[in-house]
Amino acid sequence: MDKQDHFYIGWQETMPAPHRRFLRPFLFGLVLLLPILVFTTVWFQKDFNDHRFELGTLTEVTGTYYESPVPLLLADEGELPNTLSKSILLVGFGKFGAEGIMKDIQETEGSLVGKKVRLSGTLIYGAGHTVMELTQKEASLVQVYEDAALKTPALATNGAYQGKGEILDPKCYFGVMKPGEGKTHKSCAIRCLSGGIPAVFKPDNTGDYYILLDAQGKKLNEQLLPYIGYLVDMNGSVSNYFDWKVMVVDSRALSLNVSRKGERCGGDG
Amino acid sequence: MAVSYKPVLWNRQKKKYDQILWMGIALILGCFAIFEFLLHPTITIETLIIRATAFTAIILLHIILMIGPLCRLDKRFLPLLYNRRHLGVSMFLIALVHAAFCIIQFHALGDTNPIASVFLSNPNYQEISQYPFQTLGFFALIILMLMAVSSHDFWLNNLSPKMWKQLHMSVYIAYALLILHIALGTLQYEKDLFYTILLWSGFLTISGLHLVAGWKTRSQLRAEQNALKQEGYFEVALLEEISEKRAKAVFVDGQNIAIFKYDGKVSAVSNICKHQMGPLGEGKIVDGCITCPWHGYQYYPGNGQSPPPFKEKLATYRVKIIKDKIWINPSPFPEGTAVEPAIINHG
Ligand code: HEM
Ligand code: FES
Repeated sequence: MDKQDHFYIGWQETMPAPHRRFLRPFLFGLVLLLPILVFTTVWFQKDFNDHRFELGTLTEVTGTYYESPVPLLLADEGELPNTLSKSILLVGFGKFGAEGIMKDIQETEGSLVGKKVRLSGTLIYGAGHTVMELTQKEASLVQVYEDAALKTPALATNGAYQGKGEILDPKCYFGVMKPGEGKTHKSCAIRCLSGGIPAVFKPDNTGDYYILLDAQGKKLNEQLLPYIGYLVDMNGSVSNYFDWKVMVVDSRALSLNVSRKGERCGGDG
Repeated sequence: MAVSYKPVLWNRQKKKYDQILWMGIALILGCFAIFEFLLHPTITIETLIIRATAFTAIILLHIILMIGPLCRLDKRFLPLLYNRRHLGVSMFLIALVHAAFCIIQFHALGDTNPIASVFLSNPNYQEISQYPFQTLGFFALIILMLMAVSSHDFWLNNLSPKMWKQLHMSVYIAYALLILHIALGTLQYEKDLFYTILLWSGFLTISGLHLVAGWKTRSQLRAEQNALKQEGYFEVALLEEISEKRAKAVFVDGQNIAIFKYDGKVSAVSNICKHQMGPLGEGKIVDGCITCPWHGYQYYPGNGQSPPPFKEKLATYRVKIIKDKIWINPSPFPEGTAVEPAIINHG
C-alpha cells in the first residue's frame, strides 16, 4: 500500500477516503448524542414560575396613586382582569424604583398623592401580586382626574413575623426574569435594589411576600444589599398596604440575623 | 527562509467542515429551544438565549480540547484539526452572545456601568458559594477573544510561532475559569446532581484523553530514542543551545564534529578545517556556507564541499532531531557526501 495515499493534507480539495470512512461514524454518533445531551440538560433544570411580564404591551390603568411607603396605584374596579391584584406596585424603567419618575411628573403636575390618575406601563404579575413598570418614564402619566385627593391609609400593625427566607427584587421575581431569584440572579437583584426597587421578602415556607421597611416606614434597600442571595432570618412587625404586606424590620439588628452564612437560596425548587 | 504570509484558499473540504460545524450548532440551539418550550414553557426568551448559547459554546470548547489528543492517538482525526480555528472562532462568537445577553439582562439599565457592575454588584469574593462567578466568565471571554483574533495565519506569521503557541495554550486557563464559572454560578442554583456529574464527565474526558495521548507520545518518543541508539546515534545537544547560523562542536566516539543550525535545518560536518585545521564549530554560516573563523574557507553545510572552483571537502555526519534534542551518528561519510539535513519543526 502506498503510504502517500494516507497522508492527510488539509488544503487538498477532498478528504482522503480512509479519513472519511473513519470519521463518519463519529459524526453520526455526535448527531445522536448531542440531542440526548441537550434533552437531559433541559430535563433536569428547575422549572420556572408562571409569572408574566407583558414585554412590548403597554396597558393603561386608572386608579388612585399612593406614594407612602412605596409608589402604588390602586386600580379602580374593572380596570384589571379579576385574576390580578388591584394593588399595583410601581417600578421604574430598567433597574430603578418609580420614585424618580413620579417626582419628575409631580414637579409639573403638582402632588398626585391620593388623586385619581391614569398611568400607562407594562404589567408584571404572578403569585397573586401585580407590578407595573413605568416603561415610558414621564410620559407614563396619561391623565389626572379632578377628584379630590384621598388620604393615604396609615399602616396599622396587625401582627409579627419571624422566620427565614430570601430577599428578592419584585420586578424580576414577579415576572421579568426567569429565574428572578437565587445565585445566578444575585447580582441583578443587588443592582435592582440599589436602584430603588423596593425589597420584598419571601419566606421559604409560606406563599406570602413582604415589602421591607425601616423603622421610619421608609424603603429598606441599601442596608439589605449584603444579604441578597443568602437565606436570611427576618423578624418584624407586619401591616397591610392594600393587597401587599409590609414588614418593618430593625435594620440595626439585621446583621445579626443572617443565619448559617453560606446557606444559599435556591429558589422555588 | 522568510516565507511571506500566504492566505490559505477556501477549498471544498473547508467549506464542508464549516457546513457541518454550523449544522451542528443549529442542531444544538434548535434542540435546546424545542426542549425548553416543551419542558419549561414559561421560560423567557432571554433566558433561553443565555442558556442555549452557553451550552453550545461549552460543548464546542470540549470538542476543541478533545481534537488535539485525538489526533495524537490516531492520525485519521487530523481533518478535524486542520480547520479547528473555525471551531474556535465560532465558539467565541456564541460565547460572546451569551456574555452580552447576561450583561444586558443582569447589569444594564441600572445605576452603575454594566461592565463595572459585573465586578462590583456582588462583592462576596471571599466566599466560595456566593462568589461573583460572572467575573470568571468575563476573563475567559477575554482569553477566547484574544485567541479568536490571533487565530488568523497572519498573526501566526507576525507573532513568533512560540508566542502564538503560548497564547493558544491559554485556552486551558479559559477552560479552568469556565469550569469555575459554572460550578460557582449555575451549579449553586441548579442543585440536581446531574449537572455536577455532567461537568465532571466533561473534565474527566478531556484530562483523560490528554493523559492517554501524552503517554502514547512519550512511549513513542522512547521507542524512537531506543531505535536511534541501536543505529549508533548519540544524543549530543539541545536545539536551543545553538543559535541561528552558528554551531556547536562535539566529540563523539573519537570524532570531532561541528553541528550547524541554519534556516530551520541542522547539519553536521567535521569540525576540522581543511586549510589549517581551524575550528569550524566556532565559525558561522555566511551566504549559505560554513565559514571558517581563521581564514574564511567556506563549505556547504549539506555536503561539506567548498563552493566551486574550490575543491576542499569535509566528512559529513547523519543528524536526527527528536523533540528538542539533536542526535548524531558519529560514523563519518566519505568527504563531500551529501546528507539530508534534519528539519526543525516547531510544534
Ligand atoms: C462577561 C462574561 C460572562 C458573563 C457576565 C456570564 C454570565 C453568566 C450567568 C449570569 C450565568 C447564569 C445564567 C442562568 O441563569 O442560566 C452563566 C452561566 C453559564 N455561562 Fe456564562 N458568562 C460569561 C461568559 C461565559 C463564557 C465565555 C462562557 C463560555 C462558554 C460561558 C459559559 C457559561 C455556561 C456553560 C453557563 C451554564 C449554563 C447556564 O446556566 O446558562 N459564560 N453565565
Ligand atoms: S584554517 Fe580554516 S580557513 Fe584557515
